[in-house]
Amino acid sequence: MAELALNFIVQHDDFLLSVDEKISLCGITGVFGHSGSGKSTLLKVIAGLEKQAHGTLSIDNDELLNSATKTFVAPQQRNIGLVFQNSRLFPHLSVEDNLHYGQKRNKNCVLDFSEIIELTQLKPLLGKAVTQLSGGEQQRVALARALLAEPQLLLLDEPLSALDDRNKITLLAVLEKVKQQLNLPMLYVSHSLDELQQLADNLLVISSGKVSHHGDIHEVIHQLTTNNEILHQTSLSLTVKSHLPEYGLTSLALGEQQIFIACDHEPNKAKKVRCIIAASDISITLHEPIESSIVNHLFGTITCFDKSDKQVLLTVTCSEQKFFVTITTWSAKRLSLTIGQSIFIQFKANAVRSLR
Amino acid sequence: MKVTPVNNTHPDILALITTLKMAGITTIILMLIGTPLAWFLAKMQSRAKVFIEALVALPLVLPPTVLGFYLLLLFSPQYLPGQIWQQATGQQLAFSFSAIVIGSVLYSLPFVVQPLQKAFEQLGDDLLEAAAMLGASAFDRFFTIVLPITKASFITAASLGFAHTVGEFGVVLMIGGNIPGETRVLSIALFDHVEAFDYAQAHIISISLVISSLVLLSLIYLLNRPTKNKRINQRGLIDG
Repeated sequence: MAELALNFIVQHDDFLLSVDEKISLCGITGVFGHSGSGKSTLLKVIAGLEKQAHGTLSIDNDELLNSATKTFVAPQQRNIGLVFQNSRLFPHLSVEDNLHYGQKRNKNCVLDFSEIIELTQLKPLLGKAVTQLSGGEQQRVALARALLAEPQLLLLDEPLSALDDRNKITLLAVLEKVKQQLNLPMLYVSHSLDELQQLADNLLVISSGKVSHHGDIHEVIHQLTTNNEILHQTSLSLTVKSHLPEYGLTSLALGEQQIFIACDHEPNKAKKVRCIIAASDISITLHEPIESSIVNHLFGTITCFDKSDKQVLLTVTCSEQKFFVTITTWSAKRLSLTIGQSIFIQFKANAVRSLR
Repeated sequence: MKVTPVNNTHPDILALITTLKMAGITTIILMLIGTPLAWFLAKMQSRAKVFIEALVALPLVLPPTVLGFYLLLLFSPQYLPGQIWQQATGQQLAFSFSAIVIGSVLYSLPFVVQPLQKAFEQLGDDLLEAAAMLGASAFDRFFTIVLPITKASFITAASLGFAHTVGEFGVVLMIGGNIPGETRVLSIALFDHVEAFDYAQAHIISISLVISSLVLLSLIYLLNRPTKNKRINQRGLIDG
């Protein structure tokens, strides 16, 4: 498996990005951070668009940057693709010519043009001028253009941030298909955890110019939750058990138990469904709530009890899966909750967020 | 670079040919020098930028005779540039066709550099970075992205450079003199006719220059009508 080795600093006036990290190039690695944290600068260094970087950068044995030996491989020679936040399509070229721009400059192309067009659903747009496209269409063209150049690594810099929800979901679905069909490693920068949670296998968190976490996406989200660095949430990846079209519900398997989520169409059973549940959307009962409209109730054990000012963050383990629950200190006292206690957690089907 | 005088050509026709040849060669040299200079200025961030910009713009405000005076001194065999030229070519630089071309290049430089610099600044780096990430080299990017998008500015720059060179008088008079077939251009021919009270001939030259300049400028403005360029949003399309 290819590996991207980073060891560099970038110093601007009052900003310092310092990275010493190895990223295995497989699947999608999400790069999360607040604006100004340095996540876009990281992509620019990898792309070769940031001239201020000092240190080393290599993919396997290919050295792309080494300040000590004054090695700097120009962006056009790195064979790395980049999809920008704004699509940056060439306004003087048609959609088709934009798509061919990178492909023409790639000497050993193996990808089939029509296959990529199919994948990105661009066939009806080929003859159009890029100025006629909507924001979502522009980003799909930009993605296809980058794919057709057949990079060894694709960088995506907040590709969905300028789009409305409907277009976000379309492009997310396209990205997911790309992930499944092409064996192309990607680094995906975003300030939206929801987006990253849907796509990424691993997550790298940058804060104030340093890598603070790097690992499996669900684990990192849970670390961020327990560190109070993000809104408390549970990140799940579960297999589909059954679909109930008459109720618009899908049940997901969690060990012996199940979770219902709202879903209009039957999800693909072959792959796992990723979802997020906000800790504030889950409540606790001491007895199984059989006569309740709330469809999801799971049996579990309190494994962690973290009391802060007015609320308590509970970690509840249900069928070996950690769930995070926030309740008021008042409720915690009233129910006299303690570590090791067996309880039920409950949440509505609609509380389970999944971008699809 | 001698213009061969043809004995039975009308002197004013000869002046027209000299003028067109001077303006044509000047425009070609201006585009070759002006394009990299404008690019350099558009991308430059150092403080020296203001000084170079002022230097390039100097001919806009300076009386042409001032420029002509200093060039005359430099071109004469007493000064190093004139000496080097004489040693290299065996001919005197002052009062030659080459002298008026060099003078015109300096005199018309801002008319070529300014529109190009503005176009390059507007174009920005976004599309060029995108092209680089798709494997295009710097030359490739210039010919496939920069040139097609800023085409109108290139035509404007060349036309303004050409028109301004046709219209120059002071510099040519100072460093070129009035040698038929060599340095006698239309504006100088006109001056001659007026001095000799030959107003009929002066009218012919004047009105032709007015009409041809008007036509050329109209074409430039037509080309730069806002509707032509406003669709091109250089910063990436989503913002627009």
